[in-house]
Amino acid sequence: MRSLIREGVDTIFGYPGGAIMPVYDALYDYKDKIRHILVRHEQGAAHAAEGYSRTRGKPGVAMATSGPGATNLVTGIADAMCDSIPIVCITGQVPKAILGTDAFQEAPVIGIVTPITKWCFQVTRAEEIPEAVAKAFHIASTGRPGPVLIDITKNAQIELFDYDPQAKYSFSSRLAPKDFKKDLPRAAELLNKAERPYMLIGHGIAISKAEGELKKFMEKSGVPVASTILGLSCISTDHPLYMGMLGMHGNYSTNKLTNRADVILAVGMRFDDRVTGKISEYAKNAKIIHVDIDHAELDKVIKAEIPIHADAKEFLTGILSLIKKRDHGTWIKEFKKLDEEEKKVVNDAELYPKEGEITMAETIRVLSEKTKGKAVIVADVGQHQMIAARYYQFRAPDSYITSGGLGTMGFALPAALGAKVGDPKREVIAIIGDGSFQMTLQELGTIRQEKLAVKIIILNNRFLGMVRQWQELFFENRYSFVHMDNPDFNKITDGYHIPNELVEKREELSAALNRLLKAKGSYLLDVRVKKEENVFPMVPSGASVDEVRIK
Amino acid sequence: MRMRYEIRITSENAPGTLYRIAGTMLRKKINIESLHVQEIDPVRHLSQFTIEIFLEPDLMEKLIKQIQRIVEVTEAKYLAIGENGKA
Repeated sequence: MRSLIREGVDTIFGYPGGAIMPVYDALYDYKDKIRHILVRHEQGAAHAAEGYSRTRGKPGVAMATSGPGATNLVTGIADAMCDSIPIVCITGQVPKAILGTDAFQEAPVIGIVTPITKWCFQVTRAEEIPEAVAKAFHIASTGRPGPVLIDITKNAQIELFDYDPQAKYSFSSRLAPKDFKKDLPRAAELLNKAERPYMLIGHGIAISKAEGELKKFMEKSGVPVASTILGLSCISTDHPLYMGMLGMHGNYSTNKLTNRADVILAVGMRFDDRVTGKISEYAKNAKIIHVDIDHAELDKVIKAEIPIHADAKEFLTGILSLIKKRDHGTWIKEFKKLDEEEKKVVNDAELYPKEGEITMAETIRVLSEKTKGKAVIVADVGQHQMIAARYYQFRAPDSYITSGGLGTMGFALPAALGAKVGDPKREVIAIIGDGSFQMTLQELGTIRQEKLAVKIIILNNRFLGMVRQWQELFFENRYSFVHMDNPDFNKITDGYHIPNELVEKREELSAALNRLLKAKGSYLLDVRVKKEENVFPMVPSGASVDEVRIK
Repeated sequence: MRMRYEIRITSENAPGTLYRIAGTMLRKKINIESLHVQEIDPVRHLSQFTIEIFLEPDLMEKLIKQIQRIVEVTEAKYLAIGENGKA
């Protein structure tokens, strides 16, 4: 406990059980220092720790017992690994003496989580705890952040030892960037001479808190910027140099013009396959400068002309004085022209429908207007995630939390409760599909018990919409197991004593959203949206970014 | 063309390190042809792994970076020691 407090831990998301009981017994004495939030499933603890980490800016802590408790954490750990989110997981383990005997609730947790953690360690003696905890927090939060796990055998939880509060632990950051400054003049020269430069930003900007440096760089260089899904909200969506989102369901211009750019500066992003489309056809006319804190990301997918191993903030600070003030108005007009096309073919009809069922897009638009783009949006995975990413007009950093890399359905509800605990002052709104909601809806119990004012909007189309869209477009309308005969979500939410409404008609939407936003506590809306809505633009799987379709 | 490589890794002598290294290879379905591990520095608790694999040169460059980022690994380098099937 004292080791955890020393690392600044004030919150643990967890679930007790046999092999972690001594830790829980100690927690009982530290109730005033550490808030323990009892989740309803360990997967929820891991996602909540991720949400907490995203809004608080430090590692979230998830705790579980051995065996099934630990294996239930696995999805959340893998999610944090994909999206570089620092979380520290602590699991109980059977006593050292009976390790490997198939004891009750024994699972080889270290063996299971090794490939999906940045680091993990089994503690079998009590005196190993302080150093292991210090090391865990150090590794989780430095360099490229990620999940770590400490598995503590029950005997180590019970044993006594002399805790030295003065003990210091130092860990070298072995892969810290060294002399990236020598690459800066070359990169600056390339950018200064470019006719059609293009900057791509990702989660790395948010992780290194480089939003201010990014804005300065953009405004001096005049370079148009597009963001990956996890880079959203690093720059306000109304900034004149912000062009939109990249990726399979990103914008039309941002994808298409990737292949027109002559220099691409990619900072804190990893050229995910959802961003690049067909790699052999990607950014063929561009020289690429790739900046990442993880040197293994450089040249992993896309070969860079100038790979730079650096922290985003340090890079942007370092290059600023070498960059010439420029205006790329003509080049930016090319983006604007394609934006007009997208607006005409896709956005207008979705955002301002006059008749028929409510659309996902208009729900997000109205929400965005009412919250002035300042809420924290926690989106689950599917069509609603893409619609929320496309249409919410972000005005503040750290405002879009979603499972980007792993694409974990069921992420949003527990992540939203964690995000609310991480920053109680901000309005946290979970946007969830009807399919995703049913994967982790038991966390309504946690929200209720902890009185967390998490706002929840279910965009309910009675389909696994994204899969249905693919089946419509690429599998000849063969709708294979994508229809959902859903329960009454309002009755379920009533059971958790959380106020809620069903919204079926367009004229009800605005007032219902007002009530949701006004509510002091948690509030849920089940919004029945158009059943067969497709998300466009779309870069079909395996196609090049310039084959992006708008219908 | 696939080459025969010898990878030499220095790491902390900690349980699970071999598993983590082997895991980076398993992810890409790389088969280990030979493996030797021994402690080389009992004071600093360092071990050395010598691993032989067959791999395409561009993948080798990516693999070594993935091995280098393992927390316990202090140094990792590789050497081409022959063409496919010939040592």
